[in-house]
Amino acid sequence: MLNLLVLTILFSTPLVLAAMGGYTSERGGVINIGLEGMMLMAACVGALASARYGPVGELVGGILAATVMSLLHWLMTQVYHIDHVISGMALNAVAAGGTNFLYLKLGDPAHGSGLPHLPITFFCISAIVVPFAIWIYSRHTRGGLRLLAVGSDPDKARLMGIQPVRVRFFGLLCTGVLTGLAGVELVAYTGVFTDNMTSGRGYIALAALILGGWRPVPALIACVAFGFFSALRLQLQGTPLFGAQLPSQLWAALPYLVTIIALAGLIGRNRTPAGLGKP
Amino acid sequence: MIWRLVAMVAGACAILAGAILVAHQSPIESLTTLIHGSLGSPTAIAGTLRESTPLLICGLAVFIALRAGLFNIGVEGQLLVGACSCAVVAVRFPGPLGMVLGVLVGMVAGMVWALPAALIKAYRNGHEVITTIMLNNVALFLTSALVSGPIKDKTQSDTATSFVAQTTRLPFVYKTQTVEINCALVLGIVLAVAMAIWLKKTVAGYELQAVGANRVAARFAGISPQKVTVLAMSISGALGGLAGAVQILAYEGRFYDGFSPGYGFDALGVALLAGGSAYAVLPSSLLFGILSKGGTALQIDGVPKGITTVVLGLLIFIAAAIRYRKVTSDA
Repeated sequence: MLNLLVLTILFSTPLVLAAMGGYTSERGGVINIGLEGMMLMAACVGALASARYGPVGELVGGILAATVMSLLHWLMTQVYHIDHVISGMALNAVAAGGTNFLYLKLGDPAHGSGLPHLPITFFCISAIVVPFAIWIYSRHTRGGLRLLAVGSDPDKARLMGIQPVRVRFFGLLCTGVLTGLAGVELVAYTGVFTDNMTSGRGYIALAALILGGWRPVPALIACVAFGFFSALRLQLQGTPLFGAQLPSQLWAALPYLVTIIALAGLIGRNRTPAGLGKP
Repeated sequence: MIWRLVAMVAGACAILAGAILVAHQSPIESLTTLIHGSLGSPTAIAGTLRESTPLLICGLAVFIALRAGLFNIGVEGQLLVGACSCAVVAVRFPGPLGMVLGVLVGMVAGMVWALPAALIKAYRNGHEVITTIMLNNVALFLTSALVSGPIKDKTQSDTATSFVAQTTRLPFVYKTQTVEINCALVLGIVLAVAMAIWLKKTVAGYELQAVGANRVAARFAGISPQKVTVLAMSISGALGGLAGAVQILAYEGRFYDGFSPGYGFDALGVALLAGGSAYAVLPSSLLFGILSKGGTALQIDGVPKGITTVVLGLLIFIAAAIRYRKVTSDA
């Protein structure tokens, strides 16, 4: 039972951090399916930096890498006006190929799983603090309200004298930092970088954000629920449930199925930010 | 805007050259290896064409959705369910009957897999990208569960179905000891031509493109965007399923865990690069086939294969930026 609780926290932490990264980007109106790529890049660079500069280097390197990716997304969507989805897909491709390339070329296999890294508690605590901080920030400060305004109606925000491009820059900066944290957490937890180690966590975080109606605390709850199901899946592997042997893949598919149902409008109302994807 | 584009292309080239230099290789030499490995010999060319075939059919699937203004990122999932169901049917019914049934079942499966995304987009206004991403993952886990359990061939250790009988496979157009060209490629080319004509000469094709160009204007012209959305996604899904079925019947012969190396995602690049014409999907898929086949040659040469995926990503960025430039200069 305690084991299940610990596993739930461990599995939820990267999801929460990535989902909050998605929040600051999507509430500013930038569709972000590149969360996966940003996390992956952070994990790779974090692992490489950890071998040379220790745990702090890991954190800084990971966050920097994710921020570069995130600002690339800003550049492409806001300056070049590329469709947000296309930019996100391209970002994921660059990250998937780039990490494979970088790690094979620069990675030091001698280090193995003995990479120095920050304590996992650090990440867990930030995963609990960040959603509430973002909630308060986006509801009660000038910057946060501007972010929501830009995401809801960029044209009106422009009329009010807010520059969406600038607000989104800071939104995506936050996305970079938070997805960077999420990626570094993955490396810190497993102690080693492997190809495609995020394995869809960025998409699950996005799913949680959607399920939470683009609100920080409900998204946090959705992430914990998804984390719980992954933990349950690990615990129940091989044990029959209700007399039947359920394949573990069905548990893995559950978050995605729930999200599709939520998108069909069968759970709650549609809370999609109105300005999502608009220039 | 043009200088921005130049800056972008220059940046992309710099990234690639830098990456290859980091790998202690010469960029020129790497390019030669890539081209030699994909076009250097008849065998290599046949391999490139084989790689291009699923990319061509998947590319057409993404393309038709894109013409209707929809991003079908779900081709990967549609390909998986199409391939999986085709393999099951083709193993059950050997001979030409299995071939026909397999292709049909694969197409229907792909279509069914695209429908939730189409309906949610049309009637609930949920973004099709999100739903198709979710459906991709569900397809991945579903087929993986099936192939490791109910439809697994119990007589072998691999998590795979049994092999499809030789009589059920798609025939080769041209076959020698070293060079094989399957009629799947011909099928792909015919589909591209048919799609180009369909889009240009039929009312349905016109309506589809009208919705893609401007949803609101199309509605005022009496076209139902909902119906067109569902139609476009259904065709797209069916093509995705067909790609999976063809991959089984022409090349792989069985369905296994980890069946697609990401054809559905590469296809997005293929379709974006092709721009507005279905004919352009042909050279575009060939380019991606060259990259894919040449990447394997590079890998042997000590440059990780990931570099070709980076090239793909950068190509998508550049193609999308050029496309935007065209769109705005037209307006």
